[in-house]
Amino acid sequence: MTRSLNALRPVYVVGIGWHRYQNPSETPYVELGLTAIRAALADARIEWPTVESTYVATALLGMASGRPMLRHLGATGAPLMHVENASASGSTAFRHACIEVASGISDVALAVGVDKRNPVRRPDTGIGNLAEDAIVPFTHFALLTNEYAVRHNASTDDIALVAVKNHRNGAKNPHAQRQQERTLDEVLGGKRVSGSLTSLQCTPIGEGAAAVIVASEDGIRRLGIDAGRAIRTTASVGRSERVYPPGAGFDAALTKETAELALAQAKLAPKDLDIIELHDAFTVEELHYIESIGLCPEGHGVRMLKDGALDIGGQCAINPSGGLIAMGHPIGPTGIGQIGEIVMQLRGEAGPRQHRGARIGLAHMVGVGAVCYVHILQR
Amino acid sequence: MQPNKLLKPALYSVEAHDGSGATARLKGGRCRCGYVFFPMQTYGCERCGSHGGALTPCELSANGTLLAEATVHLHADKNRPAPFTIVKVALDDGPVIRTLLADGSAAVAPGQRVTGRLAAVGQSESGETVLDLRFSIAS
Repeated sequence: MTRSLNALRPVYVVGIGWHRYQNPSETPYVELGLTAIRAALADARIEWPTVESTYVATALLGMASGRPMLRHLGATGAPLMHVENASASGSTAFRHACIEVASGISDVALAVGVDKRNPVRRPDTGIGNLAEDAIVPFTHFALLTNEYAVRHNASTDDIALVAVKNHRNGAKNPHAQRQQERTLDEVLGGKRVSGSLTSLQCTPIGEGAAAVIVASEDGIRRLGIDAGRAIRTTASVGRSERVYPPGAGFDAALTKETAELALAQAKLAPKDLDIIELHDAFTVEELHYIESIGLCPEGHGVRMLKDGALDIGGQCAINPSGGLIAMGHPIGPTGIGQIGEIVMQLRGEAGPRQHRGARIGLAHMVGVGAVCYVHILQR
Repeated sequence: MQPNKLLKPALYSVEAHDGSGATARLKGGRCRCGYVFFPMQTYGCERCGSHGGALTPCELSANGTLLAEATVHLHADKNRPAPFTIVKVALDDGPVIRTLLADGSAAVAPGQRVTGRLAAVGQSESGETVLDLRFSIAS
C-alpha cells in the first residue's frame, strides 16, 4: 500500500530565508546560498549541526555545487543531494526534504535553491525537429497567449494586467528582483519580445537563493523551535506530462491534474485557498493556472483579475510575492522561495503585502519537460 | 537533375511541384495502438510504450488548421534574425506541430487553413538551393 505525505508523520516549515533575487552580478553562488541558509537557520533559531540532511536545488551551476557552499557552515558530514528539475527544481527539493522528515528518516532537513544565470544546455535526444531553435519559452507562451485571447475573446491588454498586479506586489517585497510598480501603459509600452508579450510581462531570469528548513514534531520539541510559527505541509504532489488530446495546452492540463490530487490529499476545495504562488513566468500563465486549479471556469480568469479578486486582500491573493514576473525566477531557488512566501503570509509576518487572515496557501510550479509540482501549506 | 537539397530530409519530402513551388509530406509515424506522431522515431510510443516494429513510418499531409501564431521580435540566436513568425498547426492527420511561417506570407489567424511548402532558405556549398518547410495560407 502506498501513502501520501499527510498520511505520514506531520512535517512543518520552521525556517525561511532568502538572498534577494537580482540581475546577474559578480557575487559568487556560494555567497548567495549561504546568505539564504543562514537567514533560514536564524528564522528557525537553530544551529547548522541540527540539520540532518540537505537538498540543493540548482539547474545552471554545474555538477556538485553543494559541498563547496555547505562546507562554510561547518562540515558536519550530513548527507546532501542535488536536485535538477528545470523550473521546478526548488519545488522538487522541497518535496523530498518533506518526504525525508515525514518518513521518520530525519527530524530536520534543509531545502536550498541557488543559481546564477548561465547558459541552458538541453540534451540532444537524437530526434530531429522542424524549428525548435526558433521557439524559446517566451514564444511558446506567446502562442498560448494568442490561443487564449482568441478562444476566450480576451484582449491582450487585459492579459497584461497580470503583470501590473504582480509588479505592484513585487514593489513591496525586499527579496524581489523587480521592486517597481508599473502602469498598464508601461507594461504594454515596453520592449516587444514575442507575439503580444512585452518584456515586463516576462520573468527576468536572474540569480539569487532561497532556503527553507522543515522539521518533525519531535524535532520541533527537541530543538525548542517555536511551534506557533511552524506551518504544516498538508499536501505534496509531483506529476509529469501525459499524452493529452491534440492541441490541448499541456501546461494547463498537467497543472489541473496535479492540483486536483493535491487538493484531494489535503481534503480542500479551490475556494478554500487564501493564497496561491504560481508559475507566472509569462502573464497568460497566471490565467491558465488559476483556471486549471479551479478558482474559476476556463476563460473567466480575466474577469477575476479585473474585479481585484486576485489582489492581496481579494478573494485569493495570487503571487503576493510578485511572482516570477516581479520577484524573479533564478530557477533553482524559485519553488523554495514560493514556500517561504506562503509561510510568511500564513504566519502573518508579510508586512505591507500581508493577505489578511491567510490560513491556506498553495504553491505551484511547472518545469520544461514537462513536470508539475504542487504543495499545500496550512496554519 | 537535382538542383535542390532538403535542409532536413529526415523530417519531410517533396510531394509534388505546382505553380507556387513544392508541396511537402511530413515523415511521421504510427504505432500499433493507433497513435500518430511526428517526427518518426523508433524509441517507443509516447502513448503506450510499444517500440521497434510496432512503430511504422507514416506520411502525413502538410495541410492543417492554424491554432496560434506569434511574431518573434527578439531572438538571441544570430542565425535566426528576428522578426519571424512561428505557427502552431493542427495537421489534418493528427499531430500538432510548430514551425515557421513563410517569409512574406500574408498575416495568419487561428482557425485559418494552412499548408506546408518547401521554400528556398539558402544555398548549399555545392550551389544547390536549400529547401526547408514553411507554412502559408492554403491556396
